[in-house]
Amino acid sequence: MKAGFKPGEMQIESNEREDALLKRSAKGDERAFTELYRRHQPPLFRFAVRMTGSSWAAEEIVQDVFMMLVREPKKYDARRGTLGAFLYGVARNRIMKHLERTPRDVSLDEKGEAGQEAHPQLHEQMTPARWAELRERRGQVRAAVLELPPEFRETVVLCELEEMSYDEAAHALDCPVGTIRSRLHRGRALLLAKLEMLREVPKRANVGRG
Amino acid sequence: MNCEEFAIAGLDLGSAGGDDLLKKAAREHLRECHHCAALHENWLALREDLRVLGAETAEAQAPSRVELRLRQEFRSKHKTIKTQRTAVVFAWSLGAAAALFCAFTWANWRVHKDESLAKTTTKVVPTAASLENPSQGPQGGTPVGSELGEVLVASNASGDFTLLPGSMPPAPEDATVVRVQMQRAALGALGLTVNEEHAGDWIQVDLLVGDDGLPQAVRLPQSGREEESVR
Repeated sequence: MKAGFKPGEMQIESNEREDALLKRSAKGDERAFTELYRRHQPPLFRFAVRMTGSSWAAEEIVQDVFMMLVREPKKYDARRGTLGAFLYGVARNRIMKHLERTPRDVSLDEKGEAGQEAHPQLHEQMTPARWAELRERRGQVRAAVLELPPEFRETVVLCELEEMSYDEAAHALDCPVGTIRSRLHRGRALLLAKLEMLREVPKRANVGRG
Repeated sequence: MNCEEFAIAGLDLGSAGGDDLLKKAAREHLRECHHCAALHENWLALREDLRVLGAETAEAQAPSRVELRLRQEFRSKHKTIKTQRTAVVFAWSLGAAAALFCAFTWANWRVHKDESLAKTTTKVVPTAASLENPSQGPQGGTPVGSELGEVLVASNASGDFTLLPGSMPPAPEDATVVRVQMQRAALGALGLTVNEEHAGDWIQVDLLVGDDGLPQAVRLPQSGREEESVR
């Protein structure tokens, strides 16, 4: 999408510091705000989609997060962390509120914005039976993720789907790395249990289960 | 490494980074424990599923309508702020201008008031001659009549005032000389003797008015006195 800015407006350097962009944005520079939005919107949207399972909800959440940045930019304190972490925190709160309102909003047939399936290329490479099997499996995994308790789900989403390191996830969720480790461990175990994989695992002989 | 430790740390075997010693111990445990080997295999399969799931939404972005709405909100917010600032500046300017105008008007009014007071009134110092002889009547007959109310400029050059009956000599700084035109008969109301033949004549009289606003003494100006003596 073309921004359509006036010729006299300042140019944005791609590596311009975020605090400078934020200052300019707070003073009414629309380009600076748009740059901030474009930098931070994709991961936040993905996080929201993966947490809620609904692109409509994710859209609303992302809009809420940036609306807060428009209306109350002073809520962000640079001394307390990066803007990205701050926005993640705000998005996380919005997601939790959304999940409280609609705790079982699980969509197995997630469609893209234009209404098409998310991965149409799979149609071309597989037989219908294999495609149906994979599609079912994918649906089960997605449902299992969405059924995880929120605190485990967000850790699984960040570390497994978003492929963040433990440190990055801890930074984004504003909690210690140890908490991330333990939540991830529990999240993985719950996922395996939900997908009934553990049934295929032979009974342990050497140690008791703790 | 036992099964519990493997369940916590061993599932990270495939991921980059981490403690090499721990990974080595996990691999050794995998070779020995079929349960953990099966768990690990299941986890790898699930991890692959999760990666596929992640890849599905890897390029996901908020639709462009969100950006449009946000930019619209941004514009309207900052336009409102600018309007508010302009309104505040205008209001302060207007207030300051009004205050300046009021101050200027008041100062002007004060100056004009002082000037007019200086012109219309003068402090008089009654002379000892006039004040020592309070019972002395007005020079040559006495007028009577109603005041016309016209205030003329009086002079305190001469000090021959006649104290009205019952009046005390006023302090010089409290007395004011006021020149009025009145009928001679009006002097009778002030307690002076009036020549009845000329009671209807209009004469000029200087009144020495005390700070209570009542006349304390009268004086006939020079011309009036000459005329009076003729009569």
